[in-house]
Amino acid sequence: MSLIEIPVGPQHPALHEPIMLRVKADGERVVDVQVVTGYNHRGAEKLGERNTWSKNVFLYSRVCGICNTVHAQTYTQGVEAIGNVEVPPRAQYLRTLIMELERIHSHMLISAVMAEIVGFDSLFMLIMRDREPVMMLKELVTGNRVLSDYYTLGGVRRDVDEVKKDKILKVLESVEGRMKYYKKVFEEDFTLSRRLGGVGVVRHDEAVRYSLVGPTLRGSGVKSDVRADDPYAAYGEIPFNVITYDGGDSLSRMLVRFDETLESIEMVRYILNHLPQGPIAPKTPIRIIPAGEAFSRVEAPRGELFYHIVSKGGDKPYRVKVRTPSFHNIINGVIAYREANIADVPVILASVDPCISCTERVLVIDERSGKARSLRLKDLSRGLLDGS
Amino acid sequence: MVSTKVVKYSPWLLHFNTGACNGCDIEVLAALTPYYDPERFGVKLAPNPRHADVMVVTGAVTKKAGERLNRLYEQMPSPKFVVAVGACAISGGVFSGSYSVLNGANKVVPVSMYVPGCPPRPEAILYGIVKLLSKLDGGGNE
Amino acid sequence: MSSVLDFLKSSGLNQLGSKQPRRYVFEVSAERLREVVGGLAKFKNIYVSSISGVDYVSEGFIEINYCLWVVDERFMVITKVRVPRDSPKVPTIYDLIPGALNSELEAYDLLGVVFEGNEKLRRGFLTPSEVASQGLFPLRKDFKV
Repeated sequence: MSLIEIPVGPQHPALHEPIMLRVKADGERVVDVQVVTGYNHRGAEKLGERNTWSKNVFLYSRVCGICNTVHAQTYTQGVEAIGNVEVPPRAQYLRTLIMELERIHSHMLISAVMAEIVGFDSLFMLIMRDREPVMMLKELVTGNRVLSDYYTLGGVRRDVDEVKKDKILKVLESVEGRMKYYKKVFEEDFTLSRRLGGVGVVRHDEAVRYSLVGPTLRGSGVKSDVRADDPYAAYGEIPFNVITYDGGDSLSRMLVRFDETLESIEMVRYILNHLPQGPIAPKTPIRIIPAGEAFSRVEAPRGELFYHIVSKGGDKPYRVKVRTPSFHNIINGVIAYREANIADVPVILASVDPCISCTERVLVIDERSGKARSLRLKDLSRGLLDGS
Repeated sequence: MVSTKVVKYSPWLLHFNTGACNGCDIEVLAALTPYYDPERFGVKLAPNPRHADVMVVTGAVTKKAGERLNRLYEQMPSPKFVVAVGACAISGGVFSGSYSVLNGANKVVPVSMYVPGCPPRPEAILYGIVKLLSKLDGGGNE
Repeated sequence: MSSVLDFLKSSGLNQLGSKQPRRYVFEVSAERLREVVGGLAKFKNIYVSSISGVDYVSEGFIEINYCLWVVDERFMVITKVRVPRDSPKVPTIYDLIPGALNSELEAYDLLGVVFEGNEKLRRGFLTPSEVASQGLFPLRKDFKV
């Protein structure tokens, strides 16, 4: 039987980076997956060299909208390390607060998208509905729903008062109840467990060798979390557990996210109850950074985010290298597709959290006849397109 | 020309990310959920460009995605409209001037409606689409 | 004292200082890179976090930072390799640690560092075709936006 090549991509409605998977299949079995990138390459690393240090906080927030505060955190903490800038403790706690709120909404988003991909549309709508209050909390704290621009070099831009604190605690209480329920759905629902369990298995040793990061790595049983291993912001002072699951399959990766969301809610409670007093930003803005370099790491919702910042002094960076977690998880994550069925490709892709929900047209090329015919991904993975 | 009346009551959307940071994309996604109830305007995401009436473009339009954007636009049946959502799709936003960015969707396809914001709120996105519908009697791009 | 650090120190590499905690920076020559990374790959649970190239145009070299995270011992090993700008060539480490593949592809496409032995290198991995077809590398300092 001849191999069939199926391009999946690059148009996705809710995708992190518009990438394209070139799937080679023998009948239903996936033989090889190639990742075609570059559709979302905007040259942010080069642009950063022409902006000033403080302008770049805005630029690097816009590398990724879903995890914008962690990008701002990685950039600012790297710059602060080069410039020996002391960040006030209250600002460190507030930064941690907004990063955890972001983790909650990001994990809820991918759980919703995963439910949609396996064809459970009502669950998608329900999780998205319960995610809205979390977005409103982000707006309450930072002033904007998605791109918060909460960071400034040396601090944050807005404070949290008692009224906001009570509101956050109240909303999180209902979110916690809903997330516990959705976790139970993912664990116990027959369709979901059959669709996710045992699909896209990555073994413990492979996960590390192929540089997978974040929930994808922890879903393979590797206890590695930047928040615990390499504490930044206020994480050194906040108690939390690093969640691991040993299955290595798509279900384990999703369950890691559910447990992390519940853990994050606890952390937000701790932060709000132990918020230190004091200023939230330096009195004078920081403009000049001395020469030096920093290797900055942060645990984004999708895994380890890495910045390498080089300064030659002055008001502009010399080089900013950005390495996002999805860069590893999508491109090196192709090992998870071995022996998978074509219908599992979207599930595995979503399980590494590239924020995919494809509205796709797929081209199937029969190599024997060389004739191309069009068919939609819906025919390959039912439910993928419905309602999305 | 097909009557725009058909489109007016059920504008199906095609969403294409041309190199966005995902901020606009999750807001477009949020605008399609029950909280904002887009189906009261007949707004629904189309599974295929050949079913779509309105293309929602987010992102700064990278050169590589620009070719795809053009191809998608050509695949849509007439009458068709393009809504540019967010600062990047309007002018390139913070990424304008980069070596791999075309600075806005209107460099590639004709845009009928611009929704400003970084990112615009879901209400604003829906408002832009509904505003476009009220313009529809003038006819779409062939 | 950790075994990974012992190995690096016993290899006679020049250690550079770092202001940040849990960062150990070493200088490596391009010839010894495979020996050092091969030795590191024998330890359990080390992954390539990033391969970050910096173009020092006035100094005339490109510095390639191999950033490896040691999961069990919780620190980052950074090995710096300097290669001349006019022929930036280093041996690939992709066969030793497969997770280095994407970082090598990116560094080749954006900075023009040739990883000898990696047959998957190609232009247009990230760059648009008009930049790639002119043979330009966007992250070189002489590339104007």
